[in-house]
Amino acid sequence: MASTKPPPPAARAHAQPLSRPQASSLISRFFSTPTPLYLSATLLRLILLLYGLHQDANSAIKYTDIDYLVFTDAARSVSRSHSPYDRETYRYTPLLAWLLLPTAWSTASPLGNAALFAFGKGVFAVADLVAGWLIERILISGVGDGGKGKGMDPATARKFAAIWLLNPMVATISTRGSSEGLLGVLVMALLWAVLSKRIPLAGLLLGFGVHFKIYPFIYAPAIVWWMDDERLGRPRTATADPQTVFEKVRRFITPARLDLALVSLGTFSSLNILMYTLYGTPFITHTYLHHVTRVDHRHNFSPYNIQLYLASATPASSGLRIESVAFIPQLLLSCVLIPLITAKADLATSMLAQTFAFVTFNKVCTSQYFLWYMVFLPLYLPRSSFLRNKRLGLAALLLWIAGQAAWLQQGYELEFLGTSTFVPGLWVSSLAFFLVNCWILGVIIGDVGK
Amino acid sequence: MRQRVTFITKPADALDPDHVNIVDGTLSGPPISAIREDRLTFALDELPGGLQKILSESHELHIRWSSPTPSESVSPLLSRIPPGFHLFYTPRNASAAESESLCLALRNLFGDINCRTPKHSFTSLEQGRFSHATSSQYFQQLDSLAHFSDHVKKVFCLPDDAACIAELARLDDAASLDISYDTISHALKLTVTSPYKRQEMYITSTPGHRTEVGILAEDNPPNLEPYEIGISGLLAVLGQDSKASPTLFSFPSRHRQAQGAFDVRLLEPTGLHPTLQIRISSERPLEDSSCSPHAYFTLPRYIFPDKYQLSDDLFLASKNLTALRYISQPVDLEAPEYVMNLWGSAMLLELSPQPDHTLQKGWTAEVPLHLRYMSPNESGYRNKSIPYPAVFWACHAEEGTKFPTNPFERVNLGYDGLFGPRTVFFHVPAAPGLEKLQNTITIPVLDADKTGWVNTGTATAILLGFTWILWKLYVSYTQQNSKRPVTSKAAEEKKRK
Repeated sequence: MASTKPPPPAARAHAQPLSRPQASSLISRFFSTPTPLYLSATLLRLILLLYGLHQDANSAIKYTDIDYLVFTDAARSVSRSHSPYDRETYRYTPLLAWLLLPTAWSTASPLGNAALFAFGKGVFAVADLVAGWLIERILISGVGDGGKGKGMDPATARKFAAIWLLNPMVATISTRGSSEGLLGVLVMALLWAVLSKRIPLAGLLLGFGVHFKIYPFIYAPAIVWWMDDERLGRPRTATADPQTVFEKVRRFITPARLDLALVSLGTFSSLNILMYTLYGTPFITHTYLHHVTRVDHRHNFSPYNIQLYLASATPASSGLRIESVAFIPQLLLSCVLIPLITAKADLATSMLAQTFAFVTFNKVCTSQYFLWYMVFLPLYLPRSSFLRNKRLGLAALLLWIAGQAAWLQQGYELEFLGTSTFVPGLWVSSLAFFLVNCWILGVIIGDVGK
Repeated sequence: MRQRVTFITKPADALDPDHVNIVDGTLSGPPISAIREDRLTFALDELPGGLQKILSESHELHIRWSSPTPSESVSPLLSRIPPGFHLFYTPRNASAAESESLCLALRNLFGDINCRTPKHSFTSLEQGRFSHATSSQYFQQLDSLAHFSDHVKKVFCLPDDAACIAELARLDDAASLDISYDTISHALKLTVTSPYKRQEMYITSTPGHRTEVGILAEDNPPNLEPYEIGISGLLAVLGQDSKASPTLFSFPSRHRQAQGAFDVRLLEPTGLHPTLQIRISSERPLEDSSCSPHAYFTLPRYIFPDKYQLSDDLFLASKNLTALRYISQPVDLEAPEYVMNLWGSAMLLELSPQPDHTLQKGWTAEVPLHLRYMSPNESGYRNKSIPYPAVFWACHAEEGTKFPTNPFERVNLGYDGLFGPRTVFFHVPAAPGLEKLQNTITIPVLDADKTGWVNTGTATAILLGFTWILWKLYVSYTQQNSKRPVTSKAAEEKKRK
């Protein structure tokens, strides 16, 4: 693997794809040029999209995700100059509804209407592909590799990008009409912009990302911490080590960091001010406050789920309530400790670990959230213990799947058979899944030090 | 106070006028099989002070209660509503809508009515579509009028007035109760109907109050128009008439009886997304193609329909439904039952039209519903009952047909305001032999007996995971520190080249 014998540093974006001696095998030939990978990733999504159209038109059980109906209803609402928040459970930025405006248009032909309705899924699928392409760029440019400047040869980069591009889970989620693919491309673009030192663009993407889905704010500390003079390739202004705290702070506030902070805050606040001016309080309530006040305890993967159900149904008792301090481990890990300890060594892996911690320790967790960290896997796996030690990797994958399977089985018994599986079934399996995730996260973090 | 007592018999049981005697303001006769309907009309100042105050804050207030025990309906008393306590209300002003006094008074009168204020607990109705609709609606399951009966006995009867107590005891097995008040008439009308059964015939008038008695049955007078019901029988005003006089009259009626029957069952397993299956066998009431079958539901807050799910034509067709015609707003699609203030949701579904041979044979329509999370209890399951819907054919009467108020008119039933003024409702009776007009459902909840470890267990798991990650962070930190001087410098050197 790449970790034991790094490929020649000459492999840059402009370089011709390398043809290695063993490129005769089918797999190597598949990855030797970009076309087969991107063509098959596109085809996979196209087939799923068409299959979805067929199923939706002919079956009472829909392929399209319920969320997509929420987005398109909101887009229809916007097209009639109403607020997107007129649609119940629309909890997103109005930008999403605007983006999907074509789904609200109609033509004379039913086929045209079906195509227009699928427009948003197309956008999400294209976002997937662009995210995959960015993954390939980052791997080839090599700066993702702990900033050590070792580029990966394009064929190997594509092999890893395929983990995302040819992942059936990713393709299904976006063609069913879930907007997580947009987050994938936003976050990858953010990482790419930072690594290629396009600071204003990074600020723009960060501000936009936080406006879009809140959670990308966890990347801000990692990026800010990472952006020291050394990593931005600027000569150090002073050679002597700073003496006072004041001096340390002054040196920390570099023009690049100020730039990032101002552009991202500016983008975030101007988007919010614009949306607030247009749609008023419902924008704030549904996009942001909902996540603070929600009392929706429908079972999900979160380790807190059963505890939250219990706490919300029983009157406040004395003493410390776990749910009121749940944000402490979550934010401490994802915003402070992980970025401080790992960001400078390996920004991509830090962002993966932060996202993983944020999702694992969140009070609500559904399988769509897994996409938030899956987009980073191709960047981390090449240097991971999971690939170096195949047995470890297989164990992690199997445990991750088994944790979900056990939970899903209990969920099925509750949801469809009406068996009260909350305790111990769902509770124990969600805690087991949580511990598996913690173990995996520990291994990821451990890899940064190696 | 005015009193009207009507015995509604079946045409075959009509009474011979000679068998009815009126002596000193008391009417008596042989027992008959009939529905007894008692209607009392009060002027506002005849009512207890507390009630007067509530009514003075109301613009319109209508209570409709129907027993979950099925009973046979006899023409012209044909309208039907889902079993339970229905309230239709227009407050006089905004402060009345935010006041707790109405809900307190209802609790006082009917027992376990757990609304807070109209603003919190009532759903608002579309206003202005049809003028007779009130502005808000409330519904709750209420199996008996026992509490109401005890309350009115205390208010209206002296403790030793056995006759008064016996008179009001009829509330205990009433089939329905209607209470209506509006500011225009300034009068409160209370109507109680008994189930169809053998009735004693002995009515005494109260001195100073007008008492009308009728013994009536459906009839076919000549020149009966379509949409009209003909009635014949005896009428008397106690204290005024010495003999009951025969009568024959007809009036247009919006509520009619359809042939056939329906029942409802839950498809197993119910899970958290139960499906109600309505089985109907009922022939089209008119040759007219304008008739279509409907089901009107009032669903308590623990169970709800998803209007978005019920908007896809293919999905609806697969359930034998045509469209969701009305659903009360809002319906929170996520909140657990125990944080809800709204009573629940009312829903009108149009069922798919069926060819005539299927109508006879019987067919089913399925109504997909969803359960909310409910508070934990000791067994891990809660049993709840889902009230039957009212199932009817809605047909359009011809152009020009008018439905003026008739003596047995019943309005504000929840669904009538959702149709145009010329719609006629042909009610499909519930299948004979049913014990209750409701289905029992078992809902899984968190088992409170097993939750002792939840707090400790969750906290332990979180701490364990958190500590493991902290340890790995520490290890990573120390490893990086031991390597740092070499690697970072080297990388820098490389970059500069």
